[in-house]
Amino acid sequence: MAKQLITLTVNGDAYEVAVASNQTLLEVLRDTINMTGTKRGCTAGSCGVCTVNGETGEAILSCLALAVEWDGRSLTTVEGVEEGNQLHPVQQAFLEYGAVQCGFCTPGLIMSAKALLDVNTSPSEVDINEAMAGAICRCTGHIKVKKAIREAAKVLREREGGLNETNSGEASHGTS
Amino acid sequence: MQLPEFEYLRPKSLAEGLQALAEHGDKVAIMSGGSDLLINMKFRLDTPEYLLSLNGVLELQQVEELADGGLRIGAGCKLNDLAQNPLISERYPALHDAVWSVGSRHVRNVGTLGGNICLDTRCWYTNQSETWRETRSGCFKTDNELCHVIKTATKCHALSSTDGGPMLMALDASVVLASADAERTVPMREFYNDDGMHHTVLKPGEVLIAVLLKPPAGRAVFAKLSQREGLDFAAGAFAAAVTGSNDKPESVSLVMGSIAPEPRVMEKSQQILMESGFTDEAIEQAAAAARSALSEVTNLFTPSGYKRRLIRALVKDALVNLRDQQERG
Repeated sequence: MAKQLITLTVNGDAYEVAVASNQTLLEVLRDTINMTGTKRGCTAGSCGVCTVNGETGEAILSCLALAVEWDGRSLTTVEGVEEGNQLHPVQQAFLEYGAVQCGFCTPGLIMSAKALLDVNTSPSEVDINEAMAGAICRCTGHIKVKKAIREAAKVLREREGGLNETNSGEASHGTS
Repeated sequence: MQLPEFEYLRPKSLAEGLQALAEHGDKVAIMSGGSDLLINMKFRLDTPEYLLSLNGVLELQQVEELADGGLRIGAGCKLNDLAQNPLISERYPALHDAVWSVGSRHVRNVGTLGGNICLDTRCWYTNQSETWRETRSGCFKTDNELCHVIKTATKCHALSSTDGGPMLMALDASVVLASADAERTVPMREFYNDDGMHHTVLKPGEVLIAVLLKPPAGRAVFAKLSQREGLDFAAGAFAAAVTGSNDKPESVSLVMGSIAPEPRVMEKSQQILMESGFTDEAIEQAAAAARSALSEVTNLFTPSGYKRRLIRALVKDALVNLRDQQERG
């Protein structure tokens, strides 16, 4: 099958890669660009371990995205979450709260949590459940994960100078 | 799992897309978000020669207010964008709930309303990997003349799992279907067929381009039960809309989803509420009638007895909810 040249910006770096039309973003990230932080799980949209963040920071399942559709677009993977040599508050909180067991789902959980916290640093319980429902840990429960996300939210709020302190618990949608 | 090979087509306009559809006929699969189609392709349930992506067609991604007070929603609008659009959440809160209940946030970030309405029917036998399926002979949906779910069936009984479909039917919405040489508007209530293989009235070369909502009137509710709150298809979905008061309703529209190859209008339950109003007794009777109106419902991991009880509870709770909306004012 003929390949097509696309330009993909990953964590700020532009890559020019030749992709076949049936290659997913996940395959290109892992097998062509050799960025294996993004994990290959069910490859059918059920587990969320392949989550990356799209152009507006939204959570995207890279196993269900065609690479050709991403020509000229940019995304963030777990390799791009660190801030300089500092772990991002979400990563730091996952470490501190032991929100990791085997670690396989962790990149997907981190990217799903970051997608939430990028737009909402005062998430309610409902907001967290809703944002994380598509990313599944099969080792353990999600209790420590949720604790870590709440802690990361707190750090991010403090960083914003406490501007959002009063919003706590708002901006929630139901998960009917 | 890897995708099968296909030729990728990415039209920049609807006209260009419709032309490509006319040219390639039934060798094309139409993709918008891809969150369902790509999985089916990985499972080799769909192996199209061409994949037509509508993601470059910006004219399908608009929400417009209509002169009559209604809305026209482009089929390519993403579910999350719609859920966050005040035109939907304020004027059609039940539609917001239906859209919000689909999949997970990850899925709704790419999934579209048009894709949800056209969502292919699903079945516990067919929707598995190719290797899994090969442990048995094929079925109506693959390459055989039999059904593994209902042994005596003469047609495919795969389930419709759309959440948007039942809600839009209850709201009496319409859809605009376009092909290279024609455009037609079809009421949502006439859009689906009771056939797992050909579950919509879309013809080859035709694509759903927009949803037309009537001006908001009365009250509506959407309820869904699934094994998990997120990332699951419904075990049962229920959409209801009512105009007039609880005592004297002017219209009652009740639609069940995930119980048959098409969302189903609950005629008998509607009639009970029209005649008696939303009394405790009438609600109880309407829920019992919904339960008995189900036909074969053994598909998708839920035994039929379980699903009948589930439907009754789901309908009753949602109707009480709908009634109380008026009292809350």
